[in-house]
Amino acid sequence: MSRPKDNRPTSAYQPAQPTTEPAVASSIARELVGQLTHEDRDRARDRWRVARARWKRRGWKSFGGLRLLWLLVGPGVLVFLGENDAPSMLSYSADGARYGVGFFIPFVVLTFAMGFIVQEMTVRLGAVTHRGHAELIFDRFGKFWGFFSMADLVLGNFLTLVAEFIGVRAGLSFFGVRPGIAVGGALLLVLAVITTGRYWTWERITMGLAIFNGLFIPAALLAHPDWPAVGHALLTWTPLPGGNRSEIVLLILSTIGATVTPWMLFFQQSAVVDKGMQPRDIKAGRVDTLLGTVLATTFAIAAILATVPLFHHGINASDFAYAQFAQALVPWLGHVGAALFALGMFEAGIVAAIAISTSSAYAFGEVFGTAHSLNRPFREAWPFYLILLGSACAAAALVLIPHAPLEFIVLIVNVIAVLAMPPALVFLLMLVNDRDLMGEHCNDFWMNLAGVTVTVLLVCAGLGFAVATVFPRLLGG
Amino acid sequence: MSQENATIRKQAAETEPAAAAEAKPNLEDPKVVLSLLEADQVVAAKTHTRFGRRKISAGARLLLWGLRVYVLVMLVIVLISVIRALHGGQ
Repeated sequence: MSRPKDNRPTSAYQPAQPTTEPAVASSIARELVGQLTHEDRDRARDRWRVARARWKRRGWKSFGGLRLLWLLVGPGVLVFLGENDAPSMLSYSADGARYGVGFFIPFVVLTFAMGFIVQEMTVRLGAVTHRGHAELIFDRFGKFWGFFSMADLVLGNFLTLVAEFIGVRAGLSFFGVRPGIAVGGALLLVLAVITTGRYWTWERITMGLAIFNGLFIPAALLAHPDWPAVGHALLTWTPLPGGNRSEIVLLILSTIGATVTPWMLFFQQSAVVDKGMQPRDIKAGRVDTLLGTVLATTFAIAAILATVPLFHHGINASDFAYAQFAQALVPWLGHVGAALFALGMFEAGIVAAIAISTSSAYAFGEVFGTAHSLNRPFREAWPFYLILLGSACAAAALVLIPHAPLEFIVLIVNVIAVLAMPPALVFLLMLVNDRDLMGEHCNDFWMNLAGVTVTVLLVCAGLGFAVATVFPRLLGG
Repeated sequence: MSQENATIRKQAAETEPAAAAEAKPNLEDPKVVLSLLEADQVVAAKTHTRFGRRKISAGARLLLWGLRVYVLVMLVIVLISVIRALHGGQ
């Protein structure tokens, strides 16, 4: 097996300049003719579909618009439904089981709104520069800051991946599936999805799986939610959670970490690049991100509502793990409702495992200059695929080790995501305000205000957690 | 003049490539492939170009270092929190 060509020149290189000029009209078109890759051809095929839909749209406006949207949605929906992962759904379930209908429902809406604000910036960055997030950080800030940023990503991604496989194992344990079979089957699914050798096919299969995140909706309906109370909570943010304040701070942090995390920034930008999106697709990218936000918010609220019966019946859910929620819900949701809940946990784990392992592989390829596209066959991009599968295999193996500290990982994974987010957001804001990169697509005042507000809120949430941990009595916990 | 250029560029960007009119484009033809991709979207073009380092102001550097210290301190606090939780110390 030959080593794929190192794509990143070490010394002499031309300065890059974002452009919307078609490659065929560029000054280097003649040189490019002989250097086209499989990746370029597949991406051109995707671009032709988009161009064709736009061309047809002139006569068939509404139909053409829907077709165009169908072609351009993907990264936004995947990143948000991927982030509705096993630890996130566990966090929402804990919100509902411990505090019922109240503060956490509008709070989840707020955290997803924060998620939309930051993810929209990655769409613009990817569509304008055609480079991944890791690549831009290394290019613009140098190796020193780049490796710091990567350390956060690698640690966060690996721990989250482990938590996903714990979710897969626990979700299927409700149906009596043995851990080895559950985890092995999930790994085979990750492998099957990437063997397509085509970004488009990978994206559609993963979106097909991700839509099963909606299983939490029928589970919530079987819990017969008190809709006026839900409406009241959304409008007034009450009742506020009571009891142990340190525990509330931890749950707030965990709920934020269920919505905004560093891997999402890296993943969506790389997926936008791999999909071949261009500056003129930014509007569609926003719609895609908004669609993902709305779907994920709805499913997250459904997870909260599904576990509210535990709150009403005074069941102590403070030590519940994934499958225990489903088992505890049987008396109120019935076996079907509890099975839907368990299947939802399994789905949440598997889709996130696919997205997060892909995010690690994209970042690795971008940093080390090796081929990094799902449009490449294995022989051309084997380090990319090996990182993708290797990270998934390592996480899966850890889940199967007897007495591994799995509880520890589940406890910290969302918290670490929130704590690592402010530096990632500062890099994002600096990149998206970089006029040399973004030109007319730079952030405006309001976008910056929103981005800075999200960053400050996350820092404050982290500091609140620190105070609650170091001085628990200060909060009356 | 620059405004005129911007208008021309915008109009060019809004024009569909000729391949859009074809029911089945020949993607074996490099010209068709290049007509569908932007100049800096082709893999070979990206491998020969880099954006290069930007200047980081003293304030930005201070902010980045501050946040780095924040993350490290917070990781220690997370560790304390988890050890307490695992030993039922809450």
